Amino acid sequence: MRLGARATLLIAWLLALAGLGWTVSQRLKISTDLRSFMPAPTTPDQRLLMEQVGEGPGSRLLLLSIGRGTGPSVAGVGPSDEQLAALSQGLVAALKKDPRYSQTLNGSFDLGALDAGLLPYRYLLSPTLDMQPLDEAYLADQLQQRLDDLSSPAASLLKGLLPRDPTLEMLKLAELWTPAKSPELREGVWFSPQNEALLLVQTVAAGFDPGAQQQAIDGIQRAFHALPGSAGAKLELSGPGYFSVVVGAQTRHQADWIGRISTVGFIALLLLAYRSFSSLLLSALPIASAALAGIAALTVAFSEVHGITLAFGFTLLGVAQEYPIRVLSHRRAGEDAVQSVRALWPLLLTAIASACIAYLAFYASGVNGLKQLAVFTIVGLLVAGFSTRYLLPHLLPRRVRDVADMRWLARARVFVDRLPRPRWIPLLVAAAIVLMLAVAPRPFWQNNLAALTPLPQDLLQHDARLREALGAPDVRYLLVLQAPTEEGVLALSEKLQPLVDTLVAKHAVDALELPSRYLPTVARQRARQQRLPDPATLQKTLNEALQGLPFRPDLFQPFLDDVRAARALPPLTPERYAQTPLGQRLAAMLVQRDGHWLGLGTVSGVHDVAALQALGENSNGTVRLLDLKAASESLVADYRTRILQALLIAAVLLVLTITFALRSLRRAWHVLAPMTLATFLVLAAERVAGVEISLFHLVALILAGGLGLHYALFFERDTGDPAEQRRTLHATIVCVLSALLVFGMLAWATIPVLRAIGLTVSLGVAFHFCLSILMAPHASED
Amino acid sequence: MIAALGQPAPAHTAFAEARFLQVLERPLVVSGELSWLGGDQLQRRVDHPQQETATIAHGEVTQQRAGKSPHHFSLKRAPQLQVLLDSFVALLSGDAGRLQQAFEIRQAGDAAGAWTLTLVPRDAKVVKTVASITIDGYARESRCMHMQEADGDLAIDLLGALATKMPAQPTREALQALCQGTP
Repeated sequence: MRLGARATLLIAWLLALAGLGWTVSQRLKISTDLRSFMPAPTTPDQRLLMEQVGEGPGSRLLLLSIGRGTGPSVAGVGPSDEQLAALSQGLVAALKKDPRYSQTLNGSFDLGALDAGLLPYRYLLSPTLDMQPLDEAYLADQLQQRLDDLSSPAASLLKGLLPRDPTLEMLKLAELWTPAKSPELREGVWFSPQNEALLLVQTVAAGFDPGAQQQAIDGIQRAFHALPGSAGAKLELSGPGYFSVVVGAQTRHQADWIGRISTVGFIALLLLAYRSFSSLLLSALPIASAALAGIAALTVAFSEVHGITLAFGFTLLGVAQEYPIRVLSHRRAGEDAVQSVRALWPLLLTAIASACIAYLAFYASGVNGLKQLAVFTIVGLLVAGFSTRYLLPHLLPRRVRDVADMRWLARARVFVDRLPRPRWIPLLVAAAIVLMLAVAPRPFWQNNLAALTPLPQDLLQHDARLREALGAPDVRYLLVLQAPTEEGVLALSEKLQPLVDTLVAKHAVDALELPSRYLPTVARQRARQQRLPDPATLQKTLNEALQGLPFRPDLFQPFLDDVRAARALPPLTPERYAQTPLGQRLAAMLVQRDGHWLGLGTVSGVHDVAALQALGENSNGTVRLLDLKAASESLVADYRTRILQALLIAAVLLVLTITFALRSLRRAWHVLAPMTLATFLVLAAERVAGVEISLFHLVALILAGGLGLHYALFFERDTGDPAEQRRTLHATIVCVLSALLVFGMLAWATIPVLRAIGLTVSLGVAFHFCLSILMAPHASED
Repeated sequence: MIAALGQPAPAHTAFAEARFLQVLERPLVVSGELSWLGGDQLQRRVDHPQQETATIAHGEVTQQRAGKSPHHFSLKRAPQLQVLLDSFVALLSGDAGRLQQAFEIRQAGDAAGAWTLTLVPRDAKVVKTVASITIDGYARESRCMHMQEADGDLAIDLLGALATKMPAQPTREALQALCQGTP
């Protein structure tokens, strides 16, 4: 190809990439919500988990502490309790207006919890009337108490309330609605024993959606730093949402850091291998095209792309890095790159086709995350393969050094050819695998995905401390109430309340908050309404109760008005309640699903799980304790089953494709046997070392398998040309070294998920390389 | 003059209080003992008509009524108590500086005879509840404290020996006369 034409092709390619990149950047919507990557749930608990992971009231809770900063202030001089309390109040005021947060609590007494318009509802919400009619004796006693209150120092708190609410129903409700176990109040707000002001913030965003949580957390931090006097104080957060953000950032940070080092190493390796800058830069084009085309295909096929799909996908796309390397290594001196590729193409096509066909099995798995993974990798591999075949060779420099002439390579080839290849090697390896798997410590599988991204110990301790101080609900357990209607759920909740009170009294659990705490059933509200006296009776009762007391006779008109209004009110329903802050709190505890309603009771401080589970006995499944951890682990196990099924189908497809492509069962055996054995050998080696296998290990095994397929295919190829055999060895060595470099670095990561991928691929590459050499047909045999 | 009023802690003084509240037709009368326990700790014990003790310590108020569990709240929420603490402790400790810090002070009369101190809280939040405090005294003794609330309510405390002179049906005028009379 002439120089002008090459330049045109290069520019066109780059422009196409730029265009693709622009389109992708416009259309790509990355979802970080773990749920969209998970398979469709099958059991009721799993279904609930999928909805409640992140949506549950407990998992949307952020725990905040405002403490003295550790800045360069003079020792002992920090913000006072008073200043910390002011910051706490300021933060609450700022967040209350923000639609990202459904509730902000800092312990301060808040009459605004019930809207002014809803104030008459206090008689329907407060339990007073259940035990006590508004009769003369009760009113007289209450009024006498108010008189005592008026002479006490707390009078100013009360004076405003008195005419409207002489029985203090508002205060009773406020008490009912504050968390069961409250921290110490200082300066009117919660304080921890460590002298930090404490707050609870419930986000509207799901707890395990790190993207949305990041925004919520940024909002809190911005609001805090905008407060006057915040410079000397330190805001610390905790809670599931915060953890998901921290873990994401940590993993990304370490992956980036390792990625940068291994990229430098990778470039150095390729420069050393091919001694050509232009070849290096050009060979990056197929990979870049593959990645962009893969994402573009995802944006067309799916409305949202999951972050994990991309992470897995880029890992699996590592296979495509081999295509240009093979082309570069198989260049002959003086030969056009197009010629070299043509000779190589049938084998490369076999590799690409078999990988793509195998990944089709993932598409058929029906799991959204795996479907996305399949689309991304298949499109990526095809684009990488075809651009390596039809575009790259036209651009590569004409003059190259034939690697076959390198002396060390010749010696290496001779060494490899001389290696003994006894026929019992597969048997030996297979026996070793079986033995290793048999003696490996249990359990085989790691179902707890969180174990792969563990949290730093100090974060966990901080969380435990704040949770203890705030009496914040446990994230692991939920008490689930099920009924056909919202009213039914509330009725069930009311029925359970006495049982729950007993459990709390017996210290089986520190606190269990049921939805009826915020809203009684319509039936109960009606019953309370029935007990409210009519205006004339109440007026008469009040007059009698006021006998001998110094209150002004017309003082309590607002009280009379409110009771009159309360008698005529339509009972409060969750919809009507929804506009208020407390209604929001309730809404988080009531969810509709498949034509029925669920109530979610949050649990704090579980001491006796069996006692809690016993609440569900004889309830026909309408009450049950959901263990989110157990449910999520069963979900992961289901997910793995899907992957394993897909892998099984992929293996069958692979055998068929390779046999068909090579048109020989014996040749197919030489390709597939080392690959299969090496894959199981990795598994066995990791198991013997005590590694529990997770989804990430499986994905890494698949990548290693793809690479191993290449090694075996190329080693099996018989060209009868010793120079070509040397080039094959060169290409394979470069591929193995580059893979070892990239993934070997990851194996040193401290974050288990990165280490899992790194270790598995590195081991895999090593085993595949060794076994495909040892099990390749002897040059002399053929 | 203020320095001359100082006493060593703990200092106790009897009080009788009449509260003229808009929500009431007649004033509310209570009596008991006020104690300065040193530092920022003040106790207001009511003996009649109901036993009740309010203790201020470390910015928190603990209210204890006979037969009930104690009730805690922040001093911030009870500006009257804040004012009481500021004025009472400053007067009993003879700490003019502290009084200056919390209040604008007007003084009338004669340090050796009858005198009147008018205190207006400097804190903008407090002054919304407590408009002013007036203390009547004679020589080295405080005799009366008037707490004028911003909403028009008024509390008059007769202190020390005068506490026993609280009439059964007090009026503002009668108490005013008592306070300004000579012992």
